Amino acid sequence: MTFSSLVLTLEDSAEQRAGVLARLERDARITLGMPFEERWLPVVVETETAEEGESVAEFIRDLPGVRFLDVVMVDFSAGEC
Amino acid sequence: MDRRDFLKTTAMTAATLAASRLAYGQAPVAAPPVSSGSGVKWNKAPCRFCGTGCHVQVGVEGGKVVAIAGDPKAEVNKGLLCVKGYHVGLALYGSDRLTQPLLRKGDKQVPISWDEALDIIATRIQKDPKGFALYGSGQWTIPEGYTASKFVKGGLGSNQLDANARLCMASAVTGFLATYGVDEPAGCYDDLDACDVLIMWGNNPAEMHPVLFSRVIDRRSRGEKVTLIDIGTRRTRTSAFCDHVLRFKPNTDLAIACGIAHLLVEEGTWDKAFVEANCAFRAPSEPATLQGKAITFEEYRALLAPYTPEHVEKLSGVSQKDLRMLAGLFGRRDVRITSLWCMGVNQHTRGTAMNSLIHGLHLLSGHFGKPGDAPTSLTGQPSACGTVREVGTLAHALPGGRVVAEEKHRHQMEDLWNVPQGRIPAKPGYHTVQMWERFSTPSDKGGDIHTLWVQVTNPAQTLPNRHKLVDPSRKLADKFLIVSDAYPTETTRIADLVLPSAMWVEKNGMVGNSERRTQQWFKMVNPPGQARDDAWQLIAVAHRLFERGFEGMKDRDGRFLFEVKQDGKPVPIWDFAHYYDVNVDAHLFEEYRKTTRIKHKDLAPYEEYVKARGLRWPVVQQPDGSWRETRFRFSGFDDPYVEKGRDIQFYHSPTHDGRAQVWFNPYEPPPESPDDEFPFWLCTGRVIEHWHSGTMTMRIPQLQRAMPSAYLEMNRADARRLGVGNGDVVTVETRRGSLELPVWLGGRGEPPEGSLFVPFFDEKLLINELTLDAHDPFSKQPDYKKCAARVRGRKRKEARG
Ligand code: SF4
Repeated sequence: MTFSSLVLTLEDSAEQRAGVLARLERDARITLGMPFEERWLPVVVETETAEEGESVAEFIRDLPGVRFLDVVMVDFSAGEC
Repeated sequence: MDRRDFLKTTAMTAATLAASRLAYGQAPVAAPPVSSGSGVKWNKAPCRFCGTGCHVQVGVEGGKVVAIAGDPKAEVNKGLLCVKGYHVGLALYGSDRLTQPLLRKGDKQVPISWDEALDIIATRIQKDPKGFALYGSGQWTIPEGYTASKFVKGGLGSNQLDANARLCMASAVTGFLATYGVDEPAGCYDDLDACDVLIMWGNNPAEMHPVLFSRVIDRRSRGEKVTLIDIGTRRTRTSAFCDHVLRFKPNTDLAIACGIAHLLVEEGTWDKAFVEANCAFRAPSEPATLQGKAITFEEYRALLAPYTPEHVEKLSGVSQKDLRMLAGLFGRRDVRITSLWCMGVNQHTRGTAMNSLIHGLHLLSGHFGKPGDAPTSLTGQPSACGTVREVGTLAHALPGGRVVAEEKHRHQMEDLWNVPQGRIPAKPGYHTVQMWERFSTPSDKGGDIHTLWVQVTNPAQTLPNRHKLVDPSRKLADKFLIVSDAYPTETTRIADLVLPSAMWVEKNGMVGNSERRTQQWFKMVNPPGQARDDAWQLIAVAHRLFERGFEGMKDRDGRFLFEVKQDGKPVPIWDFAHYYDVNVDAHLFEEYRKTTRIKHKDLAPYEEYVKARGLRWPVVQQPDGSWRETRFRFSGFDDPYVEKGRDIQFYHSPTHDGRAQVWFNPYEPPPESPDDEFPFWLCTGRVIEHWHSGTMTMRIPQLQRAMPSAYLEMNRADARRLGVGNGDVVTVETRRGSLELPVWLGGRGEPPEGSLFVPFFDEKLLINELTLDAHDPFSKQPDYKKCAARVRGRKRKEARG
């Protein structure tokens, strides 16, 4: 089990932002925090391995409506060392 | 709360704090700290990697680092990290850590004890102390660098000490000295929050200082207008965010700077009041010196006269329109301009000159000394500033901005170290390129360095022209190479003696980042096997010499040079079992701190750094006993050393009159340019995923996977002409060597036609066998950014193993 904390910066378009939220809410590995100014969204990703965490982050980074993705914490206690 | 819930709550807290920072530029007023409990203990440390100096929170459980979070209390990064930073904890856990001293016997390196290793080094030094050299690093902590300086200069009575920062920021130092008479930037990262225009000179912060760059990009996301200008020789990730992207022909940046100055002068848009009050003019002298010669404004104007927009366009390839745009911005008083630069300007045979010219543009136009108006050079390594520049671990330097050439400075250090007067020689030792040249030259042909000890750096991969500077020594029987490192590297592989080192939070440490910020951390986990602190290694050798009666390691009273006392009794810190009985770092730092006043780089007591996420010097005690850092040096509103009533005062002026120097430096052609035989420019550099030579980051699986090997970037038009496709392997050749590399077209960077780029992180593909060892005449910093190359051969992608 590993956790990553991400912050997404969403695009200006309300429609795109809603699309991102809807897409992320469907994924059981992803927990959404309260967005700031509707644009900066805290996200926690819980995965079995760090590698899976990376690919989830990559997937989120490429979603239309996500302008930037910042990773702010990585727990690798159960990851590859 | 179970472990899973705890970690999840911690993760959400970290994300929420960072999101709040991004949204409002600050954390919530009652920001909760990263949670504690559940067995994970959190503590602060600066990131191990770049000179940005982000702070991380390190989570430790069961004697192991298990989590990393951006530190929301850190002003530098406000809770954010880059891809390297959030994996920094894994740098400790590569499977092949060095855990035991190794001695070369024939073709093999065989394990020996620390005791034997110390004896071997002491014997080599005793045989001929003057032929011993120490080559260190901007990744040395401040106490390590101070130990190195005291060991070599105070103990051995030699100046054969230099550091790899010679290869990355030496030209920034000489640029600052030539302009202000004292090293290091006046501004700080706060300028990035206040500037209207950010000019990046040969600089790619989106990859090399990513957290700083995102600080500016985040301002845009909050709706602020910041104009970004990229002046460089290839398209980079930074270019993608810029409003103006100016491509210049390699080495012509000096012409561009002169062209802007010319327009400011001719159009009368320079800041006359600022210049009259605070500046003087200077030009190169004959013979060339760092001080140059004083000139009048009219002489300055005449020297700039040839740099018309037409002429500069022809030389540089930058359009007249863009030159006028730049001059127009500098000529405005209603915008704030920050310049950033790093290796593109420093790794340059005209590095000192170009550094001085950028400072000159800011001074001439008065874009100086207000938040957002600053010429700011960035450093690559976490303590290039703190250790190499401030402690002075260079062949000509002494701690606190002193130089060996000045008798007064030598005597001050001899008194502080309590060693006999005359111990420190007045003649500088060898700078990096010379040191390695002498090591690679037979002793009977003038190669007077017989033993070279390398700590915290990997010169076999990072020195230029390796075939000339490194490899010959390996065939000379009387040359002995000692390397301290945490992992096997190109340099440990060719070493005679390898010493295993503790790294990052396996030891106490202090570093100094690009904005004059001194940072501290405590040891959090044990190093593996017999790996030990670099400072301990030096102190242990010093003590071995002391035991043998070596005079240099005794002070004037016959005591051990590195004696540390507790309750009035010496602690045997040379025995590693007792090294952490006291805080040796704190002891060394308090001694070093006494040296920092003469250049007004005052540091606070050690305990203040324990409490803070770093403090920017000068840190000056207030009447209420608190310690106050300085954000804007030389500015009356913030710098306590500026006389009351003055807006600006350059109190270390090279002309001793409070004035900074506006330099004229002409464009000159580079030492090697493309020709019929070698028709391409070759530039080398870094990538976001890897820290320098990849010793640590190539062992972090996530980073290694993201960028597994070096590559050759070339322009699509050149590739078409040569019939080369993405992934094909070609041979890149220069007059010094050749290397097979896979081609990457349209990747994250793209050089213009006629140019190539190769990153240097990959030890399997050593680009330093090809680079040029020509260097700047003042800083002695080599030019890794331009030499002539050709591309040959081609193996189709499928043919690669
Ligand atoms: S920007 Fe530099 S200091 Fe900050 S997290 Fe990345 S590598 Fe570390």
